[in-house]
Formats: sequence, structure tokens, C-alpha cells
Amino acid sequence: MFAYYFKLGIRSLRRNPALTALMVITLAVGVAASVSTMTILHMMSNDPIPQKSSRLFVPLIDPATLEDYTAGEKPGDIQITYTDAMNILKSGLGVRRTALYGVAGSVEPPRKEIPPFTMGGLAPTRDFFAMFDVPFAYGQAWTEADEARGADVVVLSRPMAEKLYGDVNPVGKRLNLMGFPYTVVGVTEKWKMLPRVYLLQGGSPYATGEEFFIPLASAVRHETQHNGGMSCSQNIGPGFAARLASECTWVTAWIEAASAGDRSEIQSWLDNYANEQRKLGRLKRNAPNRLYDVPGWMEYTGVVGKDAKLQTWLAFGFLALCLVNTVGLLLAKFSVRASEIGVRRALGASRAEIFRQFLIETVVVGLVGGVLGLLLAFGALQLISLSGKAMANLARMDWEMLSLTFIISVGAAILAGLLPTWRACQVTPAIQLKSQ
Amino acid sequence: MLRMTNLSKVYRTHMIETHALRGFEIDVKEGEFVTVTGPSGSGKTSFLNIAGLLEEFTSGEYILDGVNVKGLDDNQRSRLRNEKLGFIFQGFNLIPDLNLFDNVDVPLRYRGFNAAERKKRIEEALSKVGLASRMKHYPAELSGGQQQRVAIARALAGSPKLLLADEPTGNLDTAMARGVMELLEEINAAGTTILMVTHDPELAVRTTRNVHIIDGQVSDLVRKGPTLVDTKSSVNA
Repeated sequence: MFAYYFKLGIRSLRRNPALTALMVITLAVGVAASVSTMTILHMMSNDPIPQKSSRLFVPLIDPATLEDYTAGEKPGDIQITYTDAMNILKSGLGVRRTALYGVAGSVEPPRKEIPPFTMGGLAPTRDFFAMFDVPFAYGQAWTEADEARGADVVVLSRPMAEKLYGDVNPVGKRLNLMGFPYTVVGVTEKWKMLPRVYLLQGGSPYATGEEFFIPLASAVRHETQHNGGMSCSQNIGPGFAARLASECTWVTAWIEAASAGDRSEIQSWLDNYANEQRKLGRLKRNAPNRLYDVPGWMEYTGVVGKDAKLQTWLAFGFLALCLVNTVGLLLAKFSVRASEIGVRRALGASRAEIFRQFLIETVVVGLVGGVLGLLLAFGALQLISLSGKAMANLARMDWEMLSLTFIISVGAAILAGLLPTWRACQVTPAIQLKSQ
Repeated sequence: MLRMTNLSKVYRTHMIETHALRGFEIDVKEGEFVTVTGPSGSGKTSFLNIAGLLEEFTSGEYILDGVNVKGLDDNQRSRLRNEKLGFIFQGFNLIPDLNLFDNVDVPLRYRGFNAAERKKRIEEALSKVGLASRMKHYPAELSGGQQQRVAIARALAGSPKLLLADEPTGNLDTAMARGVMELLEEINAAGTTILMVTHDPELAVRTTRNVHIIDGQVSDLVRKGPTLVDTKSSVNA
């Protein structure tokens, strides 16, 4: 009977086309509004590395002074000091460790027709690539030896490699970067983490991916300025060496554990380490040492803004308003079908059959509303993506959201159809048949 | 085929109680063609609606083809209605956006017949009423008489034991009414029991029996001639 009722549902769309169109449009507008805002929220709160997000940890150690300190308060920054980052790298914790900071610098393209320009990148240790599953198109990450001696080697992103060298493998080529001759050792395949959890300082977490990577040791050796915020609770002396030795926070560290269960071991190392640093007089506060996995880190840093959540709630409020309208329209549509219901009841349809028939009709309306809603949502996302690169990265609909659109649309139609369908079942056939 | 014993139907509102049927008794045997007459408001339609399981009765007993219908739930009543009864209404009650084939198909769908069986029955029923060539037409493309023939085909397609007709010729001109009446007589001659409400005394005299209802009770029994099967049946009022 489902196919029969579905066919009747499609036929019913043509009956009273103005009312049907109004219903479909109402539903579609509500669906489009909720789906487009939900797409943004979905992309914002997306787990960028689900295969290992529960075993990638970022530590926070509070190096600030005791001044104005309230026990248990959050550290003022989401980065750590260079000293702590280096000690974590040496700790042997987990299976991989990295420390990184954002850099930006000018590049002199080997193709003379391209003028020098500035590009943004990252200065991590080599484990970063394996830790965040960065794919390579050519070459590979720099070697341990390169890392140890702070060699001037660079990994380029594919778009940057193509911009600088065209469609050839540039591994082994020289590149004048930030005034120093670097050797290209690798080119990453198209890779963009959304949100960019590994470094939430310096730009939007949804901004375009890195254009180049140089070893942390090389960046430090060349005293490359960091591209992002820095938090200091006391004055520091001049020069890059003073910054390295300071209690200012400007580096992010990551630890990859073999399993999520290793978290307590890492936490206890952190606690022991912080106690030791306190005894040495370096750390002043008796602040809790924080350790976050990727979802926890996104939550702590508030990657998904309150505004985005509010917008989604508002959009769903609008959908509810559209549903109320759809209920009214469906009531009108079904009320003129009372005589048909009477006839069907007389010919042997039970109330349950009438309920099924009319509910399937609302599902058909929901599906059509879903298709139109999807088109409107695509349009809305296109408009949103015009507002900036970061938004363009977010305003993309994936299969998950595509399916969700239809689930929302059909679910909304069913919800809206429940009362009118129930009312349709209550039609007294005898009265309708006589009143014909 | 149909027996009602001491049956009553009371409509209640906050203020008023209306007794549509009281102490109503009737026994219709298989193969009879019974007309039900009476003035407006006498209870004819209430009787027909209860007979057709479209309304519940207040008290008494109703046996339809050996089944006591009291206490049956909506699903059971609907199934019984679908399997044993056929309806013909004064206003035809065809579904306007379904063609003739699909209109006749409606009760067969609820019966759960497969596609081949439904097609065979629809073609047979429409042939019987002389409209086999117009299967793809819509009701609005037919005359009133033709629409009533489609309604008869729809009622017959499921091979019901009892055909309930509520003033089937009421909306037709004399010639069309005659045609429809002749068709009903043919159907009755083929063995289907028919219970027909009418205001037309000329039609009433053409059937096996005429039951007259006044104030919700059978007031008169007029036997016009032998039924097509055993005529030992009686109507007790």
C-alpha cells in the first residue's frame, strides 16, 4: 500500500496547486534557513581528525605570576612557553610529540614573472606531519638529522608549489624564503584541517591551510617572528633569546598517545613536571595542569562561537514558525478532502489506513519541500561564502548535511502533518457521504 | 443476510436526545431486493448507515452475514465493510481526480488483491455496467447516469454479498434512473442482495419487498412478490 499511497501523494500535489505550492515554499524556506545555519555549525564543530582525536593531546601549563591569581582560574592563554614546549618534546611522552608556532615571511619566486610576496606557514617539528596525517604529493617531511641541525628545508603546500614552480616536482629546488636559501624537501597534497585545531592562534580557525612548513629549529635559529598572539605576565628583555627564555606563552605543543587510555599517564607526567618546575622556582602558581584531547580542546577554546549556536537556535525557531503555518495549510488542504475520506472509509479503509495515506501525502510534500529547501540552502551558502575565505571554507554542504536536509524536511512535514492527519481520520463518513 | 433485533440509535447533544431508531427489527434474506421508504427524518439513512457499518448503534443486536457486529473495532468493521458490502450513493461519490479504473480500484486495494486480480475485476465490473471502453476517463467527463454506473461497478468489483443503495436514482433524470434501476435488477437477478432507500414509489413497487419506516420504526411491510431465493424471510416490526 505504501507505493499506492505514495502515488496518491504525488497526484495530490497537483490538486489545489496554489495551496500545495504555498506549503512547499513555507517548508522549504524553513528547511533552508535551518540547514544553512546548521551546515555552518556542523563545519565549525567538525572533528577534523576523527581517527585519532581522542589520543591527540594538547597540554596547558600556567606560567603566570601570582599577581591577581584566584585558585583554579583558567590560564590567560591557550599556548605554553618555549621552555615547557621543549621539555615536552624531550619527555618521551606518547608515540609522537610536536611543538609549533605560526610564521609568515616573504618569498622570492624562482619564476621572475612573479613578484615577491608574503606567505603564511607553520614552524613545527617533523612529527607534526605524521601526527596530523598530512599527505604528501612529492617528497616527504624533513629528516631527523635536518631537524637536529635546524636545516633550512621547507615543505610547500601543493597550491604554493604550483604557483612557484608550475606543474613539476620541486623537491630539491632552492627557494629564497625570509631572506634565507631553503631547500624544498616535500610538497603536501591538498590538505586543510577544519577547524585548524593544531594552532588556534593567529587567524581564524577556519582560514585557508598552511602555505609552507619549516623546522621549528630553523625558525628559531633565524629568529623568525611568530605570527599570532603572545601572552606575558611580566616584562621580558629585548631580543629573540630573551623571548625563548621568558615565561611568555607563544608556542603550542601536541602529544600523540598510543591510545586514549594513556591520558592519565601524560597527565601525571605533566603534574610531576609542573611540581618540579615550581620547586625550581620557575612556575609560581599552583594552577591545575590542563590536558585536552581534540574535542575537549575545541570545547575549551570555544572554536564554535556562541553566536553560531544562537543563530542555529533562531533558525530552528523560524522552522517551527514555518511548521505552524504548514499545519494550517495542511488542515485547509485535508478539510476539503473530507468527502473523499468518507468514500474511502465506506469502501473499506480503516482509520489507520486513512492515517497512513495522509501521512504519506505529507511525506511527499516534505520531500518536495526538502528538494526546494536544499536548492535554497545551496543558494544561501553561496551568499554566505562570499563574505570571506574563512566562511567559504565553512559554507560547504557534505553528504551528512545533505541527508540531514531531507530528514529535517520529511520530519518537519510529518510533525506538521500529525494534527491534520489525525483530524482527517476523525471524519464521520456517513455525514460526508450524505452531504455530497 | 442482515438481521437487526430491537435496535436503537440515539443521537445526543448537550441539550437534546434524538431517537433516530427505536426497537427497530428487520431480517433480510440472501437474494432479496428490499426497498426502504419513509418520510424525511424517519430514520432511513440512520438505518442504512448502521447497516453499512458507517455508524454505531446505541443498543440491540445486528447480525451481518452471520457476524455479530457489536463490539467490533474499527479495523474489523472496515474489513467487514470491504468484504461484504457495496455502497451506491445518491451523489455517486466518485473521487474526481481518479480515472474510472482507479475509482473502481479503491475498494480492491483495501482488500489486498494483487495487481492482476484487481485488473481482472475492474475490467469485469466496468464491462458489466457498459463502460469498459472509458476506463481512462475521469468522472467529470461522464454524464450523471454514467457516473452512477461507475459507482455501481465500484460497488460490485469486490463481489459484495449485500449492496446498500441510498437513493441511487435521486440525482438522475427519468431515462437514466430507469437504466440504473434495470442494472440493479440485473445485479439482484445474478444473486446479490440489495437494500435500497428511495423516495420514489414507482421504484419501490418493482422490488421484492418494501419496508416503510416512520419515527425510527418499521411501520409497514409490503410484500410485492417472491424473492429470487427462498422467500420465507420476514420483516418483523
